[in-house]
Amino acid sequence: MEDWEFKTARDIGLTAGERYRSYQREGGLVETSLRLIWWSCVRLSLTCCHRIGYQGLEHLPQKPPFVIVANHQSHLDALIIGSSLPLRMRDNLCPLAAGDVFFEVPALAAFSALTLNALPVWRKNCGQQGLKSLRKRLVEDECLYILFPEGTRTRTGEMGPFLPGVGMMVAGAPVPVVPCYIRGAFQAFPPSSRVPRFTKIDLTFGKPLDYSELPNRRASWDRIAEETEQVIRGLRPSVDLETQPTMNALPKTEKESEV
Amino acid sequence: MTTEVLQRLVGVSHAFDQPITIWLCGAVLASIVVSGAAVTGLGKSRLIGESDYADAISRWKSWALIAGCILVPILLGAAYTVAAVTLLSLGCYREFARATGVFRHYGISVAVVAGILLANFAALDHFDRLFFASAPLVVALIAIITVPQDQPRGYIQRVALGCFGFLLCGFSLAYIGNIANTVNYRPILLLMFLSVSLNDVFAYWIGRVCGRRKLLPATSPHKTVEGALGAMALTTLIVVVLGHLVFHQSRLDNWVSLTLLGLLISVLGQMGDLVLSSIKRDVGLKDMGTTLSGHRGLLDRFDSLVLVPPAVYHFLSLHLGPLGASEPVRILTGGG
Repeated sequence: MEDWEFKTARDIGLTAGERYRSYQREGGLVETSLRLIWWSCVRLSLTCCHRIGYQGLEHLPQKPPFVIVANHQSHLDALIIGSSLPLRMRDNLCPLAAGDVFFEVPALAAFSALTLNALPVWRKNCGQQGLKSLRKRLVEDECLYILFPEGTRTRTGEMGPFLPGVGMMVAGAPVPVVPCYIRGAFQAFPPSSRVPRFTKIDLTFGKPLDYSELPNRRASWDRIAEETEQVIRGLRPSVDLETQPTMNALPKTEKESEV
Repeated sequence: MTTEVLQRLVGVSHAFDQPITIWLCGAVLASIVVSGAAVTGLGKSRLIGESDYADAISRWKSWALIAGCILVPILLGAAYTVAAVTLLSLGCYREFARATGVFRHYGISVAVVAGILLANFAALDHFDRLFFASAPLVVALIAIITVPQDQPRGYIQRVALGCFGFLLCGFSLAYIGNIANTVNYRPILLLMFLSVSLNDVFAYWIGRVCGRRKLLPATSPHKTVEGALGAMALTTLIVVVLGHLVFHQSRLDNWVSLTLLGLLISVLGQMGDLVLSSIKRDVGLKDMGTTLSGHRGLLDRFDSLVLVPPAVYHFLSLHLGPLGASEPVRILTGGG
């Protein structure tokens, strides 16, 4: 028999507020139960209210770690992607969320941490160290990250250029990148709206991309960002390409806010 | 459910039916005020160092908070007491599981949480046979729940930690709810809580003032033999005096029995403290958590309580007959 080994929770000693913002956070039975209830409700509401359709689910790896990279259309995006995952992966799922939006208010931070298992990315001062911590956790804890490399939600409905952060996360790491295109979320919940509209949403996964052989340096990060952006643009259904969003296609409130 | 049972469960209007309850509540409040004033006085007059003052104030604040959390449910009724004990047990187990790492085995935690709910439900229902059966049943559940995972590596460790966690944080504390099945449970519980708290305070201050010899330096470096013996003497004295009022004209109302009860509470209170210190040293932690006001964990504050309730329950049952024997049983499930 081997000696007993006590693996104390990594976040022990942190206060509740510190835990929610920490990359060392570890959940238990309470958090798992909350997530089970939460994701079941999310899936049900997306099915009933948005007639959500999933394509390419066969491309999802059988087990984490992996990173899902998607275009960013609305605050619903992480929920849309999370709802597509099997139950056994829900505890590994860690959406990366804007720290200044989701982790400044204590109640919202508690919800984001306990229910969504979101990890904060501080957009103004994330720094190399923050990304290194995220990368370490991704590999060691076999996590599943959802990344929106545009850095913010689209304001026009059109996909923006990708930032190299995704490359810093996966270059040289044995972590596949699963590209994914979200369609219809902008119409359902544009940045100018306070309440989502019940319109159809679709989610399409592409084949996983492997960057484990690339060296972890600047040139690779740019290449990964460029490639994933191209692949995700390629996942857009032809119907979308034919009807590029224009100012006329934007919801009324969005147009008003632009004026 | 009879009116008497309802009154015992939720009858706050009968909280002060026994005059001794008023005296004990007064003693608790007075001890908080006096100790607060004493600590502040010592700090202001610089009779104790700044770090000692900060430590004493922190302890005092925690104890004042805990005293409120204990007094209120007991006065409100037995149902509130059981609910508070259930929450306390779940909080203590959470800290224990996170400290030892057993929280990663969800099956074990599900079994322990189910066991805590079962034991406390049995206490609320006044279903003694179910209460006492819950210990072996839950231990059996913990032993079998992870077997289907087909992962024998680490099996003994996770099962042992699960059983230890349940017995320490769940079953032992659930005895408090079982004691609440007697008609005059309020003074008994208040006596138990007051003496356990004062025992802790006596051991700390006597050790500070005149402690010379270390008790168990590897387990708890600040505890002294003088503190332990002094606390034993003073706590026993308090239990004899207050116990005479609580158990007036009963078979327990003699100085030999009350002295034994006082010694039991004092020794087990200090042993509970040392048990938790041993756990913390073994896993390499200073504190078990940060549940209380961002400073320390529930188990750090309730460590001296965890071993006392079963001993008090069985000691009283031995002298007075089974506690709550005159009360209706299975009040929720029926069939009594």
